[in-house]
Amino acid sequence: MSDAALAARAGAPSWVTEKLLMGMSPRTYVRSLATRGNLIAGLILALGLSTIAYRFAYGLGSVTNLSQSTPWGLWIGFDMLCGVALAAGGYTLASAVYIFGLKEYKAVVRPALLTGFLGYLFALLGLLADLGQPWRIPYPIFYKHGVTSVMFEVGWCVFLYLTVLFLEFTPPVFEWLGWKTARRRALELTIGLTAFGVVLSTLHQSSLGALFLMAPGKLHPLWYSPFIPVYFFVSSIVAGLGMVIVESALSHRIFHSLVDPRRPVDLDRISIGLGRGAAVVLFGYFFLKLQGIAEGGHWGLLGTPYGVLYLVELLGFVLLPSLLFAVAVRAGDVAGVRRAAVLAVAGVVVNRLNVSIVAFNWNAAERYVPSLAELVVSVTLVTMGLLAFRWIVNRMPVLHEHAAFHSAH
Amino acid sequence: MEPHGFVGVYEAKALEYLIAVLYLLLFVPFWRFVNGGRSAERVAQVRVRPRPAPARGWFSVPDGVGFHPGHSWARAEGDGVVTVGLDDFARKLVGPIRGVRLPTTGTELAQGETAWSLLADSRAVDMLSPVDGTVVALNPEWGEGGGAADGDTYGEGWLLKVRPSRLAANAKQLLSGDVARRWMEAVGDSLRARMSPELGILLQDGGQPVNGIAQELEPERWDEVARAFLLS
Repeated sequence: MSDAALAARAGAPSWVTEKLLMGMSPRTYVRSLATRGNLIAGLILALGLSTIAYRFAYGLGSVTNLSQSTPWGLWIGFDMLCGVALAAGGYTLASAVYIFGLKEYKAVVRPALLTGFLGYLFALLGLLADLGQPWRIPYPIFYKHGVTSVMFEVGWCVFLYLTVLFLEFTPPVFEWLGWKTARRRALELTIGLTAFGVVLSTLHQSSLGALFLMAPGKLHPLWYSPFIPVYFFVSSIVAGLGMVIVESALSHRIFHSLVDPRRPVDLDRISIGLGRGAAVVLFGYFFLKLQGIAEGGHWGLLGTPYGVLYLVELLGFVLLPSLLFAVAVRAGDVAGVRRAAVLAVAGVVVNRLNVSIVAFNWNAAERYVPSLAELVVSVTLVTMGLLAFRWIVNRMPVLHEHAAFHSAH
Repeated sequence: MEPHGFVGVYEAKALEYLIAVLYLLLFVPFWRFVNGGRSAERVAQVRVRPRPAPARGWFSVPDGVGFHPGHSWARAEGDGVVTVGLDDFARKLVGPIRGVRLPTTGTELAQGETAWSLLADSRAVDMLSPVDGTVVALNPEWGEGGGAADGDTYGEGWLLKVRPSRLAANAKQLLSGDVARRWMEAVGDSLRARMSPELGILLQDGGQPVNGIAQELEPERWDEVARAFLLS
């Protein structure tokens, strides 16, 4: 008797019920969606998607405050630069576990890869809204490569790394679908994909910073530095480690029932280990930033209003979290590590927004301030990312290993 | 671009070297500071939550609770209301439980009829009500989005409060005390008979049954195994 016949005879739920509706009947599933959180998310999506539709119907000028002098705004500064930086947990954790052999962090690799994949995916969706001619997004890959543009390198790296992240995340998808052979093949690619992913991330995390090397006159001298690519890459490691600490703590709290009690994850120990790494990287990053000031000879600018802002970023969002991480790790204070991680992640966001918006066109007569519609679209993309994360975690073995594959690792 | 500072290029280079040396000098004590103190291992050991062991045998069978053969339980609370839940065996058989599809308050339950469904690993397994009556309250800790406190099956882990319609008659169909413990031992024996030699050796060596026994027994059709034990 076939599996399907056996399942039917045993009254087992259909594929749709089991895989998509989480074992519930359609009516129960729809009823289960009627929560306050979903209502708020629904309102955000309704508002945001209609704004996006309006933007595509009437153009960028109809919804944004962008101009010829400020062609990049919130959608690049937040959705793209922050989204990509905060998605760095994927390559950071994958390389730690699969290349450096730190197997004790394996339990948080899948959520990190998923966060990374969704981060890139929604950054790309944000980019589509930002491009004047979004249908040309495949041009650097398939049509006119434009090899002399830094965007060529960024475009290729994001395209390839999004593909790599998708492939890295396929084992839990195949486990969910029950495709054993496909899963085995996907696992065989793990090392190769991880190494490729690290190379691509190194290239494009830094090249996102290199974009600003083209605008020495537009970016404030304190933020402009030949080291920007290095800053972007190093701070992406901080963002990745910080995001994994924050995201794993939230996931294990919100999706507590999905964590397999037979194989408890020692999240405290993992968080402390990641916090130790973040403390050291931030410490080095702080001195690299000092080198940037020294190299440009910009010490005198630290007394200006922009200098104060720079010092707030440097001391409050780089040095302070580094010291907080160090103290918390030394004391074994997991809550302290998580607080430091929130500050570190916020610091990377502050840095990207400073570079792309606040300190950009700092001496222009007209300053760019994002429109409400731009804010709505950015919030919508974040909401979509969170909903996608929840949808996947609720169905696929992300926080636990699938029962049928326990011994296969 | 034009340097905006007040130092010349040689001084700037000297400062860069100084910063690099300062970093190296400070990094050593910083590294020692970060890696000193309480080790993460010790912290982790301190923070591990103790998991309650079964009171007797493999599965906890407390006094004062009536067990239905479908592995639900009922306990009279003295205010005319009965607290209802799933027993330790059901929890360990099906777990990890992602949520429970509960009836709404006001629903009429009948002893031996389906009352709620356990949601685990994208599947649902029905369970039977231990009593007749009307649902008057649901445990807010449970729901389709999450589960109640681990391990406290007969306390914080209750599912429903039911106003029974014929508790005396229902109670005759429930097992309690030593009778319940013998019944649970028999269920354990039945389970052992279905176990793979690998898992059986582990248990016979003195180990405790894992949470999610059905998934260990039959990863692909664990819900059928669970339904067989839960009589649903």
